Amino acid sequence: MKLRADRAQFADAVSWATRTVAGRVTLPALSGVLLEAQDGKLTCRATDLEVAAEITIPVSIDRPGRALLPGRLLAQLVARFPQAPVELDGEPDRLQITCGRATFHVRGMQVEDFPTLPVPAEDASSGVLPADAFARLVSQVARAASTDEGRPVLTGVQLHAEGGLLTAAATDSYRLAVRTLDWDQALEGNALVPSRSLQEAAKAAGEVGGSLTIVLEEGQVSFLFGDRRLTTKLIEGTFPNYRALLPDAHETTVVIERTPLVEALQRVAIVALGQANTPVSLTFSDGSVELQATNQEMGDAAEALPADIDGEGLTIAFNPAFLLAGLEATGTERIRIELRDGLKPAVLHPETDDEQTDDLTYLLMPMRVS
Amino acid sequence: MPRVAEPILHVDMDAFYASVEQRDDPQLRGRPVVVGGAGGRGVVAAASYEARRFGIHSAMPMVRARRLCPQLVIVPNRFDRYREVSGAVMEILTSVTPLVEPLSLDEAFLDVGGSVGLFGTPTQIGERLRREVRAQLDLPCSVGIGPTKSVAKLLSGRAKPDGLLRWPADEVVERLAPLPVSELWGAGPKTVERLQGYGLRTIGQVARTDLRTLQRVVGDALGTQLHQLARGIDPRSVTPHEPARSVSAEETFDEDVDDPVVLRREVLRLAEKVGRRLRRAELSGRTVTLKVRFASFETVTRSSTLAAPTDRTHDLVVVAGGLLDGLRLERARVRLIGVGVSNLGDDTAAAQLTLDAADPGTELPWNDPRWDRVDRVADQVAERFGGLGVSYASLLDDHPNDEDTAPTREDRTPPPSTSPEDR
Repeated sequence: MKLRADRAQFADAVSWATRTVAGRVTLPALSGVLLEAQDGKLTCRATDLEVAAEITIPVSIDRPGRALLPGRLLAQLVARFPQAPVELDGEPDRLQITCGRATFHVRGMQVEDFPTLPVPAEDASSGVLPADAFARLVSQVARAASTDEGRPVLTGVQLHAEGGLLTAAATDSYRLAVRTLDWDQALEGNALVPSRSLQEAAKAAGEVGGSLTIVLEEGQVSFLFGDRRLTTKLIEGTFPNYRALLPDAHETTVVIERTPLVEALQRVAIVALGQANTPVSLTFSDGSVELQATNQEMGDAAEALPADIDGEGLTIAFNPAFLLAGLEATGTERIRIELRDGLKPAVLHPETDDEQTDDLTYLLMPMRVS
Repeated sequence: MPRVAEPILHVDMDAFYASVEQRDDPQLRGRPVVVGGAGGRGVVAAASYEARRFGIHSAMPMVRARRLCPQLVIVPNRFDRYREVSGAVMEILTSVTPLVEPLSLDEAFLDVGGSVGLFGTPTQIGERLRREVRAQLDLPCSVGIGPTKSVAKLLSGRAKPDGLLRWPADEVVERLAPLPVSELWGAGPKTVERLQGYGLRTIGQVARTDLRTLQRVVGDALGTQLHQLARGIDPRSVTPHEPARSVSAEETFDEDVDDPVVLRREVLRLAEKVGRRLRRAELSGRTVTLKVRFASFETVTRSSTLAAPTDRTHDLVVVAGGLLDGLRLERARVRLIGVGVSNLGDDTAAAQLTLDAADPGTELPWNDPRWDRVDRVADQVAERFGGLGVSYASLLDDHPNDEDTAPTREDRTPPPSTSPEDR
């Protein structure tokens, strides 16, 4: 293999491929990035058997070939390369990388040991979505997914396309985020996508911009944006019937400015966050909400804000991190909180006067304070 | 102060749950009473002595118990109540010594070696405790007194119901000798069968057997243990529980394991063990940790912190199993595997609630109360039979050559269908 590549493009490609498949790999071959030079293009591939990342950049090729190089080493090298074209030259087991006056010889691994990456079939059903809308949808919903690998089903985001709507839902059993988007595409179906992969895809989509193609197949989903592709295995199992979790009625509706609430919550939560499992309680009454947290070891904190309250006053306590995530997900200047009582879930919605607001529901279970 | 030769007391409440029910409801006194679920698949959690006369015993299916005794009174479990009464019992026990080691809700070891100056001989202390429990709580209990824990426990069983037994230290070996091997602590049905297969029927025969021979029959660890117990030796001391920081269990394999199925089963078994210890100590924890040591001695730990503390075996199995899957071992050779729970608290702290469907019929991957009930029944059976009685089916399909890698497997087979003596 012998080729010459633009430094910035090469560095981007290597770092994206290695980062996307963040290192929880056990097979040595999986720690590598497979470089394949052919037809004027260099393709970088990485996988951890669950997620596969592939990125293609234009290069000038003297001699096509393939090499499997240690991913982390390569990423560290290219990040520090000087401003000069990168040249790769040599055999798969010993590749010379030159950039400006710097020369490296890197030992490659057995190319054959690298697994064959899943490739989406040509005829698989797909749909197109603006990259920024996709990135936003993911950032709103994925935060409600569980990070507990012990419950794989809850570590995923359920994507559901049907009847001109794309719905994304995630829950960790304590909260639930559901976002719906108008989406007029031929693609219909369900995919339980690992939240981590989906967030990587969203991040890449945000960086690349433009539009994104979702390809849904049996057992896997691929996201294509420009020169990049990310394919991830779907999570096996059935996502809970989240519609059954949505309360059918509420007693009290609160409309409140979001930013002051977030800031007050962050201040009060400093006391709570020092100690695991310490709730922040919110008391709604007479046009105000009072936030309060007590930590037996540190002390307590309280802060009051104005709020429009329609219905009975009540007190409800939350894990501050969960509430904060919900407030961040809504994103609008004002939010609407629907409540029933101190032991029933709160429902957060974005609140705007115009019709363009996101169709987002963030359901959050309170904490019981003894 | 003279050294006491038999300082260990084992106090065991008689038919505890059933006795509490009979005490609280005078109409139940003198009648055959069992505690447990009355439903089609209910199991007897405890049987009064009146009920035992009909051949009813713990862990028996309720259907069968009813067939044995049509006039049987079935009372639902009231665990909070038993826990409360248990607290009162333990309080009486700690009035004579701080060295009280509760084994479960209804039994405890005491070391009264330092109390004889204040309260008299161990026998006098035992009688005093029985009087106090009777006077304050109106409940019967039995007390065994001996030089070691295992002897004290054996004697409380033989003193039942409502009695007290003591063996002088210098007569223990002699008195143990004629007893059947099944009386040895740690000898489950399979071990007993195996010992008998080699002609070892009495404890005396075990005591006289060469240690190496015994180890070849039942494995190294158990062989050493049984050999010592048979000769009246039991080095375990009475250790009052200190507030635990974590609860864990681990297993070193005799030979490195690369089979994911074997690892999975071990995680299941360890999670079960940890869950039972948590529940016995009335603790629950938020952080579940999986520890894996490879053949290279490289050790990795992975943990997962839940939003709410748990003591459910099922939760531990799910989380620890998920962490194991997450490691993607790809047949790496594993030397040791462990499961632990930390970030412990009692149930008084603020609790994160889980989402719930309005329609109770909705299936959710969390919030299945049936697992609580499974744990309770499994715990009860385990308490009654000293080993793991109710378990995951996948832990039961024993392969004969597995026994070397899991020498304690004998303790984990299902209980026999007949009641052990004195229970």
